Amino acid sequence: MTTIDTGQVAASQAVAVPKTPHRRRKSDIVPALIFLGPFMALYAVFLIFPLFKGIYISFHDWELAGGYREWIGFFNYEDLWYDREFWRATGNTFRFVIMAVPAMTALSLVLALALRGQDRIRTILRPVFFSSSVFSVTVVTLVWGMVLSPDRGLVTPVFEAFGLEPINILGSLTWAMPALVIATLWWGIGLPMALFIAALGQIPSELYEAAELDYASRWRKFTAITIPGIRRTMLLVLVLQIVLQFQIFGQAQLMTNGGPAHTTETIVMYIYNTGFRDWQIGYATTIALALFVIMLFFSMLQLWIGGRGDTND
Amino acid sequence: MTNLGKRMALTAAALLVSTSFASATDIKFVRFFGDCQAEFGDVTDPADAYGECGIITALTNQFNAENTIGAHVNTQTVDWGAYYTQLTSSYSTGDIPDVAVMHASDLINYTDRDLVTPIGEELVAAGVDPDDWVEQARKNVTSDGEIYALPFDIHAVLMHVNLGLMEEAGLVNEDGTAKLPTSLDELISMGKTFKEKTGKYYLAMESQSTDVSSMRLFMSLVWQQGGDLISEDGKTATVDSPEGLKAAEFIKAMFDNDLLDPGLDYNGAEQAFLNGDAGMFINGTWVVNSYATQAENGAGLTDYAVYDLPTFFDKPAVFSNSHTWIIPKDDTRTPEEREAAIAFLAFLNENDYQWARTGHLPVRQSVIDSEEFQALPYRAGYAGTADAAHRLPPVKNERGIYLDIAAELSPMWQTDMSPEEAVSNANDTTQRILRRNR
Repeated sequence: MTTIDTGQVAASQAVAVPKTPHRRRKSDIVPALIFLGPFMALYAVFLIFPLFKGIYISFHDWELAGGYREWIGFFNYEDLWYDREFWRATGNTFRFVIMAVPAMTALSLVLALALRGQDRIRTILRPVFFSSSVFSVTVVTLVWGMVLSPDRGLVTPVFEAFGLEPINILGSLTWAMPALVIATLWWGIGLPMALFIAALGQIPSELYEAAELDYASRWRKFTAITIPGIRRTMLLVLVLQIVLQFQIFGQAQLMTNGGPAHTTETIVMYIYNTGFRDWQIGYATTIALALFVIMLFFSMLQLWIGGRGDTND
Repeated sequence: MTNLGKRMALTAAALLVSTSFASATDIKFVRFFGDCQAEFGDVTDPADAYGECGIITALTNQFNAENTIGAHVNTQTVDWGAYYTQLTSSYSTGDIPDVAVMHASDLINYTDRDLVTPIGEELVAAGVDPDDWVEQARKNVTSDGEIYALPFDIHAVLMHVNLGLMEEAGLVNEDGTAKLPTSLDELISMGKTFKEKTGKYYLAMESQSTDVSSMRLFMSLVWQQGGDLISEDGKTATVDSPEGLKAAEFIKAMFDNDLLDPGLDYNGAEQAFLNGDAGMFINGTWVVNSYATQAENGAGLTDYAVYDLPTFFDKPAVFSNSHTWIIPKDDTRTPEEREAAIAFLAFLNENDYQWARTGHLPVRQSVIDSEEFQALPYRAGYAGTADAAHRLPPVKNERGIYLDIAAELSPMWQTDMSPEEAVSNANDTTQRILRRNR
């Protein structure tokens, strides 16, 4: 059977109720495998295998170097449950996520609303706002370290203008975490903004025109047309941000090193310290799996909340 | 075709020649101490360099220029915060260095896992005399009677002093040395006098949990009372002992009495001292030469002095460690490379005096006895440090203990945590690390 035949058969069967589902499935398998194969191979090697290897390692006392491995069953999991430092790091990470994710989503939406359209200024500003995303975390933290330095930082004159003594923001219990959030917003706003701009462009302009004929206010148009129109993108952005921000590491490691007094030590930092500083890859992997479960739970929760209205469509 | 073939053969030959030159004697050398190629990259006489980075760079250059076995040391500097992670990971990636710097406190992590092999015999064959090493230095690199590393220094915590400000505050002895406190009460009362007279902070110390200065002071204070932070066998944490609590109360009192700025990180504390904004700076031997040079070159600090860490409790004791050089185990290393690495270590041992110029204590008795060392400035001020130098009982993951203790202590001044709670937390985290050690 030639490929053209396959296509015709598939197409005709797609319209009518397939009479011979058996034959169709068989003939589709080869091209499907060819298209999916490379992805599946990479997925298996870089995601499925490491996941199961990670689960395997987590049942061991497994050292970073030197080849020591010993099966210890669920000891790492038991240990994790009673690990004060793990819960502290989890609390810090939640604090960061709760600040960063809504702020990132709202800000990127505002930016997208302001920057959609075709005039010259907006066309120039869009890549400007996106450009910070291309920097590596090292550059971003260096820049923000300079901005926030109490001696010579950009914020110093601001404090002085208000007649205040400049504070060491990154050394402050109250402000260190918000500072990380701000640096992260500045760094990561580009992608969600681009997603929102694309989604806003998909909303049919007829809807807005119809609303205008009804003298709908701007707010009404925003809540009744724009928000429902980009709901799926909003969900995508939220899930992406949750997965991304739970894994915060570079900013905390480089800007505060978890300080002051552990208030910015995040889960991934704790994984890094356990695995690479204390040589305990087995336990570090256990923490990583816990993080995986947390992220999975919140992503699923988001998808579930976001998908609840879909049955009415 | 023939032309192309010829050219290819030539290129191949050239490549072969160059790689054979390179592979025979190239040594991969990793260290912290910073990168100062810009300033000292061309200096081949260590006498022309100053500071840790300058002197080790000049020593490396000198070895490359003068060795007769065709060895060439290629330096790779790693930021010290990431150093051990990178070194440990290199065993997995296979990109193992030929010579690496190692703190004595970290050595056991590698010897116990067979990642470093003994080099004593080879060092002796290369002209190194281990009997010349002072006892503690030799102890630092010896495990089960075998020498696993070349000790390069003993370093410890000192009290760096701005004599000019001390004079202003009237805290100077008749012989011109600074008057230092010998108890917590004295520290506080002198600190108050100092602040009244000069309007500046009496002390400076890195006080974020990012560096470990508070831990170094804390441990010194515990040892000064005759206590320790872990049991002799390395199995049990005793951070919350009465001595530990007393040491924590001491540190909290320093902050509560406003003797120092709690918001300074390492660089901030260093700048405060060098700008003349603080009377004394609790920091290590590693900066003596550097501060002296900067004081001469017109820093805000003009009259620099440095002393042993004062004994606040019963007996002198001060946190110390040791920089050593190891040859990480690597089965793919050629005998020529190993020989070159040993030669480099022997050369460094020979130049222990140059390294001691940084402010570190030398490890060779012959250097300590030498006239040139005796003539080094500032040494009289901290002559007692060598005998007071103290360490934890050797345990694996000591670095984690350092960092965790520093991090658990800092809430005492960053929040209102009580010393009892701080030492209890520090004890828990230390115990966690010890429990995992085999």
